[in-house]
Amino acid sequence: MFGLHLVLFWLSLFAYCLEAGLQIGGVPSKPVFRSALFAGLVLHALFLGLRWALSGHAPMAGLFESLTVFSFCSALAAFLFCRSGETRLAWKPLSLLVAFPQAGAALVGKQLTPLYPALDTPWFATHVGFSFLGYGIFAAGLALAWVYMRKGGEEVYRAGARSALYGFSAFSAGMVCGGIWAFYAWGSYWIWTPKEIWSVVLWLYFAVLTHLKFITPGPGWPGWSRRMEMGATGAGYFVMLATFLGVSLLLRSSHSF
Amino acid sequence: MRALWRFLTSLKTCAWAGLAFCAAGAVGSVVMGRYPELFSDMDAQVLAGWFARKGLISPVPTLWLYGLLLSTGLLVVNAACCTFERLVQIFRGKATLRRLMPHVMHLAFLGVVLSHLVSSIYGDRIPGVAVPQGGFAPVGNTGWVLSLDRFDALMAPEGYPKDFSAAVTLYRGMSPVARGVVRSNEPLFHEGYGIYIKNFGATPWGAPYAVFDANRDPGATLVLASSLLFTLANLIYLFPARREDG
Repeated sequence: MFGLHLVLFWLSLFAYCLEAGLQIGGVPSKPVFRSALFAGLVLHALFLGLRWALSGHAPMAGLFESLTVFSFCSALAAFLFCRSGETRLAWKPLSLLVAFPQAGAALVGKQLTPLYPALDTPWFATHVGFSFLGYGIFAAGLALAWVYMRKGGEEVYRAGARSALYGFSAFSAGMVCGGIWAFYAWGSYWIWTPKEIWSVVLWLYFAVLTHLKFITPGPGWPGWSRRMEMGATGAGYFVMLATFLGVSLLLRSSHSF
Repeated sequence: MRALWRFLTSLKTCAWAGLAFCAAGAVGSVVMGRYPELFSDMDAQVLAGWFARKGLISPVPTLWLYGLLLSTGLLVVNAACCTFERLVQIFRGKATLRRLMPHVMHLAFLGVVLSHLVSSIYGDRIPGVAVPQGGFAPVGNTGWVLSLDRFDALMAPEGYPKDFSAAVTLYRGMSPVARGVVRSNEPLFHEGYGIYIKNFGATPWGAPYAVFDANRDPGATLVLASSLLFTLANLIYLFPARREDG
């Protein structure tokens, strides 16, 4: 079974790379549910489900599982936010944002890891699951922002703005679950580590972003154009990346890999 | 006075304060690692105690923290003033859930920050209470004594702990006041304090010992309630109708 679940992993990576290749090569897109991306998502879901059953815990611990779940949530976001019309153009950059973390996961150890007692709680899966769902939606936001910057489009703008709001909401829910878990596991809902600080930075970044469109132009404020909003939505992906990978890999924190 | 009110209710103030917070936080995450002697024990006491002891005597490396606190303060005042002003307008006109929910989220945000402020001033941290099995140890200045009645650990063949638990009794004087089994994610609560198991090992004479933290967060319940209110308001805002503004 361990071998089979890795076969599913490699097949999903192949499907993601195929989608990225087709997109970059300019091959006309197939209908959403007949695409390589959808095949990859289904294989990926089977892989994660099997790994969950084999390890006995949500596959969200360690660098390998984090990267592959990040990739899965980014693929899922393609179907939630970029399913129709103009927004399908976002699949070109988004297929790369899906394939890269999965390819990164392919390079690290894939052994099943034990779950330490502190992680053995439903709050672990909900905290990490909601956070990664937010990360995946931010990836869709970057892809939509990229399309909007190049081609504009009302539908793309609306989907991009929705991605910021829904990504923020999912990430907020993840933070709440994390706080509850930390209170029961470590004795405080807040600890002073770079990861926690960056989590609030990311949360506040998107919280402020969702407010900026309501500022009317005037003295001292040039107005918040849609291009600026989409630019900031795309930049949010990199704030997320700093929070997820930058802090966990470069700085000492409770979330270090 | 009008200019001050305009400043405090302005979304521009929110934007700049948010940006200041992000910048201060980014700087702080790096500075923390460069001054471990200063920041490594931040969680061993509540923030007010740590700040009074170290923040004031080391102003330069803690400058980011002043920025973080000031920008948080400004965001709180901004959210409070904005919500007050908007709620007055909303209730003079037609109050709908969609117009109200962002301000419920603001109020929940205020609840989280203000409750955390209470915990940061009036909370308590008692780290590293080590007790051998069958032994006793005082719990800081609470007047309690913690006894470790029994310790159990289930180890995997690879050597990592799969589960561990400690049966403990809390005494005041000679009288037991609380008793329970403490394990990961399952602290023992008594009079506002939580007793958490943090570590375990074996004493030189072979008996097991466990290390506990005792924490008190008087704002924790309100932080939780405010967080759940925020999530609920967020959900209501997202789902009942399609957004008109994208």
